[in-house]
Amino acid sequence: MNKLLNKSLKRFTVYAGIVLACSIPVYYLAISELWQYELSEHDIILTTEAAREDSFLIIGAITLLTVFFFALILGGFVWLNRRISGQLWRPFYNTLEKIKAFDLTRNTTVKFEPVNIIEFDELNTSINRLLESNVAAFRQQKEFTENAAHELQTPLAIVQSKLDILFQNRQITSEQAILIEKIQNALSRVSRINKNLLLLAKIENQQFPEKEFIDIAPLLQEIHFLLSDFKEEISLHLEAAGSPRVEANKILVETMLTNLLMNAIRHSPHPADIHIILNHNSLSVTNPGATPLHTEKLFKRFNTASRLTPGSGLGLSIVKEICVRYQWKIGYNFTDNRHIFKVKFEAD
Amino acid sequence: MKILIIEDEAELASSMTAYLSSQHYLCELASDYPQALEKISNYKYDCILLDLMLPGGNGMKILELLKAQNKEDGVIIISAKNSLEDKINGLKIGADDYLPKPFHLSELAARIYSVIRRRNFANANIIQQNELKIDVLSKSVTVNDKAIMLTKKELDLLLFFVGNKNRVISKSALAEHISGDLADMLDNHDFIYAHIKNLKKKLSEAGCGNYLKTLYGNGYKWEL
Repeated sequence: MNKLLNKSLKRFTVYAGIVLACSIPVYYLAISELWQYELSEHDIILTTEAAREDSFLIIGAITLLTVFFFALILGGFVWLNRRISGQLWRPFYNTLEKIKAFDLTRNTTVKFEPVNIIEFDELNTSINRLLESNVAAFRQQKEFTENAAHELQTPLAIVQSKLDILFQNRQITSEQAILIEKIQNALSRVSRINKNLLLLAKIENQQFPEKEFIDIAPLLQEIHFLLSDFKEEISLHLEAAGSPRVEANKILVETMLTNLLMNAIRHSPHPADIHIILNHNSLSVTNPGATPLHTEKLFKRFNTASRLTPGSGLGLSIVKEICVRYQWKIGYNFTDNRHIFKVKFEAD
Repeated sequence: MKILIIEDEAELASSMTAYLSSQHYLCELASDYPQALEKISNYKYDCILLDLMLPGGNGMKILELLKAQNKEDGVIIISAKNSLEDKINGLKIGADDYLPKPFHLSELAARIYSVIRRRNFANANIIQQNELKIDVLSKSVTVNDKAIMLTKKELDLLLFFVGNKNRVISKSALAEHISGDLADMLDNHDFIYAHIKNLKKKLSEAGCGNYLKTLYGNGYKWEL
């Protein structure tokens, strides 16, 4: 791709070249005519050989001069071009840099310095307006998620409590009890989705600002202990060869580790071995699986990879969001029929 | 035992009243801030259930007032916000517990039971039910003075049942109780069976009466 000014430079140069090239025969004809006129005025008759020599000389001198001026023009163009793009286009490049650095998810604002050129000023104002409406829409969307999740808690609590009361009824038949259990399961799922949405919205809204130094190994051991007897057919093997020390919010780190392990537990066939390997700067969790997952969809919201084990569809999105927050790297791999999730506890 | 329910959502308040009344608690209701203020300054309660978002004022203020007046009432904050800040703040000011909405009524009852037990100075740590004795502080359980060894989850379940006696408790309430936030990730509550089976076995082997009944295949009841 070409720079805008280089495009015009090329055209100017070609034009100047053509004009100068065309000027060579014109100059030659003019000078020859003058020369002939001078010669005949002084009654000098040249031999054909001398005349040819003269015309060669004239052509040579004109060409040389033309080439010299062409080089001069070319050099001038390049120099002017640099100067113009440096000065005239500076506001444009400034604007470009700012838009490039802008990230909607990172609560940053863009501020353009005032410029004295109408076109650029208009450009900046328009971009500003565009960005502002984008930021506002994004904020509204985040707030909406948080508010909606909040507002849903109370009606959910009412449904839950009524269901609990219904369950106390002495005249319930076993069929009705099964119905109640099914309603209960669905309700638990809604509550879970709601809670996770709220958590996700809070992380995105930059809540959980408290930070402390956390050693991953002991925390991981705790969670491993808590989870080890949830499913008898699934065994969790923890190997801690190192313990990364991170500065982060403890609740978020706990949530991330739990979600990663629970994700492996949920999506494993029974029986299964899950390996959790901790190094000095990374954590990997591997569990058996049949087919690789869609990497690009994996961390998206409500993208449950398997229909057999419906969850809230938000577990991995939360993991991703926490990693993004602390600039850790999360990756997914599928090798030897095993899913491998790896978190690198350091910014690149 | 007297309980004050400070909750503006009438339907939720009525459910809580219904469940707790059947547990032989005496429930009173305050549906807004002025009403709550009036009740807490005129009467004494064993436990107050406090919603933070109230018409007419912030529930946190009520908590501060209670503590400023050196009241002995136990307080459980019930909030739709589930915010860590509120939780830390509330516990710092002097609330005994924090329960985010939505919750199971059995969970609420178990927490009330534990708050009242802790507030009740005599016999604070010993729960006695016929031949069964639970020392909550040392986490030991004896049947006819014979000790039985329970895992942490089994003890949690036992305390939950004792705090909800003669009520039908759903499997999901139990699952959420013993796995806490982890239950959020679990869609299958079957792991509860194994813990209950073990608990039942240990109790009956020690000669404890069969108080724990299974109902409809998915509910449990501690019958006394």
